[in-house]
Amino acid sequence: MRGPRTPIRTARRGGRSVVGRATAALALAFAAVCGGLTLGAAPAAATPQPMTACTTTKGVVLAVDFSRWGGPLLRSCGTTPTTGYTLLNQGGWATTGTQHDGPAFICRIGYAGYQNGKQYPTSKDEACVLTPPATAYWSYWHADPGKNTWSYSQLGAMSYHPKPGSVDLWIFGATNIAGTQGRPTFSPDSVRAHNTPSGGTTTPPAKKGATTGGAGAHTTAPPVKPTHRAANTPTATAGTKSAGPSPTATTPSASTSTAAAPATPGTASPTGPRTQDAEPTAAAGHSSGSVLPVAITAAVVAVIAVAAALRVRRRRNAGHAP
Amino acid sequence: MTGAPAPEAAVPAVTGRGRRLPRTLHPVAWWIWGIALATAVSRTTNPLLLFLVLAVLGYVVTERRTDAPWARGFRYYLWLALTVVAIRVVFRCVFATGITPADHIMFSLPHIPTPHWYAGIQLGGPVSLEATLSAATDGLRLACLLCCIGAANTLANPKRALRVLPGALYELGVAVTVSLSVAPQLVESVQRVARARRLRADGATGLRALRSILIPVLEDALERSLHLAAAMDSRGYGRAGTATRASRRTTAALMLGGMLGLCTGVYGLLDGTTPRALGLPALLGGSLLCCAGLALGGRRVRRTSYRPDPWRAPEWAVALCGVGTAVVLFLTVGYNAADLNPSLYPLRWPTLPWLPAAAILLAGLAAFAAPPPARTPAAAPAAPARAAAPTEKPSEALL
Repeated sequence: MRGPRTPIRTARRGGRSVVGRATAALALAFAAVCGGLTLGAAPAAATPQPMTACTTTKGVVLAVDFSRWGGPLLRSCGTTPTTGYTLLNQGGWATTGTQHDGPAFICRIGYAGYQNGKQYPTSKDEACVLTPPATAYWSYWHADPGKNTWSYSQLGAMSYHPKPGSVDLWIFGATNIAGTQGRPTFSPDSVRAHNTPSGGTTTPPAKKGATTGGAGAHTTAPPVKPTHRAANTPTATAGTKSAGPSPTATTPSASTSTAAAPATPGTASPTGPRTQDAEPTAAAGHSSGSVLPVAITAAVVAVIAVAAALRVRRRRNAGHAP
Repeated sequence: MTGAPAPEAAVPAVTGRGRRLPRTLHPVAWWIWGIALATAVSRTTNPLLLFLVLAVLGYVVTERRTDAPWARGFRYYLWLALTVVAIRVVFRCVFATGITPADHIMFSLPHIPTPHWYAGIQLGGPVSLEATLSAATDGLRLACLLCCIGAANTLANPKRALRVLPGALYELGVAVTVSLSVAPQLVESVQRVARARRLRADGATGLRALRSILIPVLEDALERSLHLAAAMDSRGYGRAGTATRASRRTTAALMLGGMLGLCTGVYGLLDGTTPRALGLPALLGGSLLCCAGLALGGRRVRRTSYRPDPWRAPEWAVALCGVGTAVVLFLTVGYNAADLNPSLYPLRWPTLPWLPAAAILLAGLAAFAAPPPARTPAAAPAAPARAAAPTEKPSEALL
């Protein structure tokens, strides 16, 4: 009797294993998702600084050009050592990666003090699922200390470690692969920090009108492009106003001189965007969402799995009936 | 179906007890369903939707698969899917790039430092939850795609599916059919030899057992192929028909040109940097040439089909179930398109967009729309029935 019975047994084991293993795999994946959300975050090392803390030899200037959406060229300062990615994700700055490449590909950039932290390009323009086309993406440029030319970054934002006193620039648009086309239309000196290196080590926390206060320590406007005025010329920061997006901000105020450009007639450059300082602000908080959709899906999947299991059992019983 | 009443029309679709008569669904309907579902899956990385798709696939396969050899393969596709996810996750852990400072670090692998000029790739280091989850969801999408194709393969009879091939590809279809039936026949052969060895109380293991299994199986395979060749030859397979040398060459040239056009057109459509004239026109031209080649090639041999598969309401329903899902996931109307690709940075629970979820469940209706499959009666003496089922007559094995 052993011979003919064996196939039945193997067939039965096969039927159970399909459903059983599928259920086990689903349960395992759900457990992984659920268990993961309770772990703690790793601390960040680099810190954001007010623009006055950056000099030509210390700190890294981050410049992001929002002129494509009618916005300013925002400048921030960060400590070294850091990475291009960390610089772009501190002090109120935030980025979004793509689904395909992960967070290392900078697909969207937003600053908490500009348009309430809205990230550009918006999801209407770019889905950030696949790698964006080379005709419309955030390209990454460096200017080493003392140099007045932009170089197209040969490394990703996470791999690049900016030198102290250098400038990191993000512009949105088209380039070719070598980075010889689509260069920035303004020079690094127009966005570089020109504070004197001596004063900036222990800058007091940004007070009201921090940019105007720090303006005394500024050198004169960049000699290379005098028409290309920036926010660190004393006249340009007259209209500084507080634009704190969040009441729980740890820094006293988030100063962005949004009224700078219209307040200073005659200094508008025909080519470059208007420059504003983006002081460190608290990042916009995020909720971890609701567990309900996951629970509902788990229930639906469980119901379907039970239905399939019942079906398999019924068929097996029917097979055993004489 | 509007003409003279077909003989099938006399057969009621539902028997007296309310149970539908078992029959096999048209294989093309299952393939449309599977491919449409795969298309829908390719649109989303929402793990909730992907799990729903897997559940629906599993249910429909359990409900509507036959007892044929190819219909037992879904579990292998599931294993393959699990392997895909595992490989994805392991690679992402080992080549730990894209760890942001805000990531939740689960554990750290030993880090192998790479030189400065090799900064793009990192070996080992901290493994973050976000990276692992994103690799898992990405793998899950590929796994779902595999399972969609696997489900279609499991549900549809591959031999009958090849019958819908155009006449010009007939020889190709025959070759594919023969090769498709090799694997199940080998498995069946091995099982038969093993059973015979057990009956003879042959308890040898290791190399000797291998020899006593391998040689009969190979002999069996050779014998089968000779039988098949004889059967095919006696039925007129491989005859060139009335085609002249010139017409054969024209067909070949048309097909080659058409394929070239198709390749160029697809490349032009997918690559944004190529000139626009390369995309759609080349694609259209290529398909025209291909159609002409197929038509010309099909004219030279006239084939008739024995017992053609009917295409009735259940076929329409199954195909529409799948296509409906794909349409809902492609139109992105009535729900937020961002819900299809939820971001893991920052980490948050995925949302379940209602419309796509409902559309995926709608694809599961195929389990009810399709008639129950014709099963080999699972009688009590199971061994003879199972032994008889897979041994096909040559005529059945060949379309």
